[in-house]
Amino acid sequence: MTSAMRSAEAPAEVLVETTTTVNGREVRASVPARLHVADFLRQHLGLTGTHVGCEQGACGMCTVIVDGEAVKSCLMLACQLDGRSVRTVEDLAEGDELHGLQQAFKEEHALQCGFCSPGFLMTATALAHQGCRPGREEIREEIAGVLCRCTGYDNVVTAIERWFAEHPQGAAPDPHPAVTDPTATQG
Amino acid sequence: MTILEDPATGARADEAGGRRRVIGTSQLRKEDDRLLRGDGRFTDDVEPARVLYMAVARCPYPHARITHVDASAAAALAGVEHVLTPADVRRDTEPLTVLRPVPGAPKLPYYALAQDVATHEGQPVVSVVASSRHVAEDALELLDIAYEPLPHVVDVLSALEPDAPVLHPSVLDSNLLAANSDGSGDPEARFAEADVVVEGRFRINRVTALPMETRGVVAQWRPGARELTVHCSSQVPHLIRKQLAETLRLDESEIRAVASDVGGGFGQKLGVFPEDVLACLHAIALRRPVKWAEDRAEHFRGSTHARESVHDYRIAADSTGRILAMTNVYATDIGGWNSPFGSAQLSSVVFNGPYKVDDGYTERRVTLTNKTPVGAYRGYGQPEVNFAYERLMDQLARRLDLDPVELRARNMVTPQDMPWKNPTGAVYDSGDYERCLRMAADAVDWAGHRARGRTPRPDGRLVGIGFASFVERTGYASARFLARRGSVFGAHESVTLRSNRSGGIDAYTGVSTMGQSSETAFAQVVADVFGTDYEAVRVHAGDTATSPLNTGAFASRTMIAAGGALRAAAEQLAAKTRRIAAWQLDVAADDVEIAGSVARVRADPARAVPLATVYATAITGQGLPPEEEPGLEATAHFEPSDAAYSFGTAAAQVAVDPQTGEFEIERFVMVHDGGTVVNPTIVEGQVRGGLAQGFGAALSEELRYDADTGQLVNGSMVDYFVPTAADLPQVELLHTEVPSPVTPFGVRGVGEVGTIPPGAAVANAVCDALADHGVELTALPITPEAIWSALAGRPAAREPELTPTPADLPDGGVEY
Repeated sequence: MTSAMRSAEAPAEVLVETTTTVNGREVRASVPARLHVADFLRQHLGLTGTHVGCEQGACGMCTVIVDGEAVKSCLMLACQLDGRSVRTVEDLAEGDELHGLQQAFKEEHALQCGFCSPGFLMTATALAHQGCRPGREEIREEIAGVLCRCTGYDNVVTAIERWFAEHPQGAAPDPHPAVTDPTATQG
Repeated sequence: MTILEDPATGARADEAGGRRRVIGTSQLRKEDDRLLRGDGRFTDDVEPARVLYMAVARCPYPHARITHVDASAAAALAGVEHVLTPADVRRDTEPLTVLRPVPGAPKLPYYALAQDVATHEGQPVVSVVASSRHVAEDALELLDIAYEPLPHVVDVLSALEPDAPVLHPSVLDSNLLAANSDGSGDPEARFAEADVVVEGRFRINRVTALPMETRGVVAQWRPGARELTVHCSSQVPHLIRKQLAETLRLDESEIRAVASDVGGGFGQKLGVFPEDVLACLHAIALRRPVKWAEDRAEHFRGSTHARESVHDYRIAADSTGRILAMTNVYATDIGGWNSPFGSAQLSSVVFNGPYKVDDGYTERRVTLTNKTPVGAYRGYGQPEVNFAYERLMDQLARRLDLDPVELRARNMVTPQDMPWKNPTGAVYDSGDYERCLRMAADAVDWAGHRARGRTPRPDGRLVGIGFASFVERTGYASARFLARRGSVFGAHESVTLRSNRSGGIDAYTGVSTMGQSSETAFAQVVADVFGTDYEAVRVHAGDTATSPLNTGAFASRTMIAAGGALRAAAEQLAAKTRRIAAWQLDVAADDVEIAGSVARVRADPARAVPLATVYATAITGQGLPPEEEPGLEATAHFEPSDAAYSFGTAAAQVAVDPQTGEFEIERFVMVHDGGTVVNPTIVEGQVRGGLAQGFGAALSEELRYDADTGQLVNGSMVDYFVPTAADLPQVELLHTEVPSPVTPFGVRGVGEVGTIPPGAAVANAVCDALADHGVELTALPITPEAIWSALAGRPAAREPELTPTPADLPDGGVEY
């Protein structure tokens, strides 16, 4: 891992052996204890679709799904992923086909600069994992943790609403469910 | 004059023989797939091998002398590769340059690291490069920097007082960077003879663009090739290249600037910032790639702010409400240094808004304060004055007991007046302003509201409706116009089109992709003019190594200026394509048309040759007609003859609790004209997005500085409230479509318009609801607290007077 090379230059760095599942694949890494999940995904795994906007948990750019729940990955340390399963925006599309939610975003013009889109996509996907069937006003509340400076949100809400409407069966299960009982790693 | 109520459904005339036009249709965006898949390439996504990371130590004081810098302990930390101190930067660079100077202003020396004195909190002082951002920030903790705090001033009017501490005493003997005035007629005589004069002081809040992607830079230096590659989050890569060359003492040919995907710009990402220079210096010294990704705390202090200004407005009218004169004398805050685009100049240019004013005068006083520098931000001075003149129009209506809609209609520039030159020399091109006003009034049932009177609802709330009519200057005129103001960029756009052997057309532009959908709109124009499929056009954006030298994406100018270049290049390319195809089809070139993926005989469409074949013929040069040169490529440049003015009226309906000042925006109608619409969905998206920023600045955003400490007290996403999905009112959009006579295709810019009317419309609605309480709001943002204070009759704090009058102008009038 690149982390090992970096740590050789900065021996003071405390490293933690971590085993996690990212988009369905097991990843074993030796990660700096102070590295947050967003930087781990971006810098160590090259998954740059997860963006960093504030590192305070306020803007939602870095939202990913951890064991089925939407998590602001700047507020979680990489070593806390040990034993957990992460899903990022790179996991949505299959081959060259956009995921239905992504297609709805495209057709409803729910993005302009696109920097925030992964945050909205993963927030909405987590809702689906949990079996939610939110209405328009609920969607507004649910996505209020992700900021967008371009669109004014209306088209984002419409795209998510449309995707839920097109999937009347409701829950879209997480294709990469928790690898272990998440409570077991917290003690 | 063509007016379409709803261009989104307006069928386009089929002008090209059975072929459907692409301009005017809602094509799906070219940009979306990569962005939705997490495969965009924003600056921080660029991660070269052996990259190092930069962190920056910043002055914690608003104004301080730097008396001592010792970086030896930081440099000794394991993992630290390089440190730059103020002395290094002084030795190795020139001061940062300004792209749009304030007319009449002296140059302020400003280096990438503060020299001797820092003039605002967050100004860079030392930079460190290390194996990780963590280690680089560890090293900042080991820096030994001694500061001697100096007296500071953060209030814009206080900064103009004689006893204020002077920020740049080696250049100026006060904090007035420059004063610019302009006007026509004899406004003072009109004020003397007026039946009524309304006037007020209007305070505009300091806000920030806050793009979701912060600034960032990745610099790589190949010493043998003398090639500096700079990935940066910028709206103007070709101007970045120019500025970096000047500051780093390199030739432009040694620099390649790349801005591929930009996560929002909004005017903030115009020009070189100190960190761009620092990353380059480190990379050159280390011969290794260096990255800096601005964190949000840095962003709030190191990236430009906007809007803060204090306007003293006056309107003189006769007893029928006809405006006789209008003046605005205002102090605008530029912060601690003149940033690349400096203070907004359009507050002066369109100070009269959509109203016909012959006798008018405006003066701006650009003022230095110990705060983060102010730069361009979507709207660029127009939301500020719109709030002031539209608030005064309602006050004038109340004074004369006139219907505010009728008062506006009576004073608007009419289609018959145009082209019409306003007192600052701006030429309004065309449009039906009153029509938009009437549409807004009808949409919110203004007549019904007037008839109902101000009876409280059962819950005690009062309902009010307010209007804000506006013009928006979009694009700008010739290089000659810019030269008079000392601006060091052009008015044109340039584009290169190149056919490829797969049958497609590659378009190369220096306009970076930042959400404005230029890849999509450019492809639409090329497809439409050339005649090929939208899918066959691919736009390559934002790389100075591949694109022709251009100006950049700002001032709602891209479609106006690039439209002309795209059209010319596509016509050139199409003409040659038809000549070659005609040779192959054995007909005359005039008999050939391009349709989708083929060139065919107009009268016999079955006789066709694939475009891929025509292109390959040109590219190989094998089988060309006699005297035809090989190659199929066209570069064109276009400079607009003048600015185009978008226009419209917004109407807000609010319900206000007169006990608490709490209010709700129940309806918001926006009637807007952006001229010919290239892509209706994108235009609507731009207007809605601009409105969201307009609501933020009008209702919840304000960067606050503590007067005693000079500190920014709410510089984080947790404390600075941009609207979320749960905060915004529903917006009802209506359009008219009056093509502009001064632009290609008749387009007007649409990028900034939404930021203009929300503040005035909502404030006017609140004041309409509370008219019986005598509430007249004069400041942004509009908060329940501000309304409650106004209801309680609390006088505003005593403020220094903005004393100068036209009689004692310092500059004798600098023309806009």
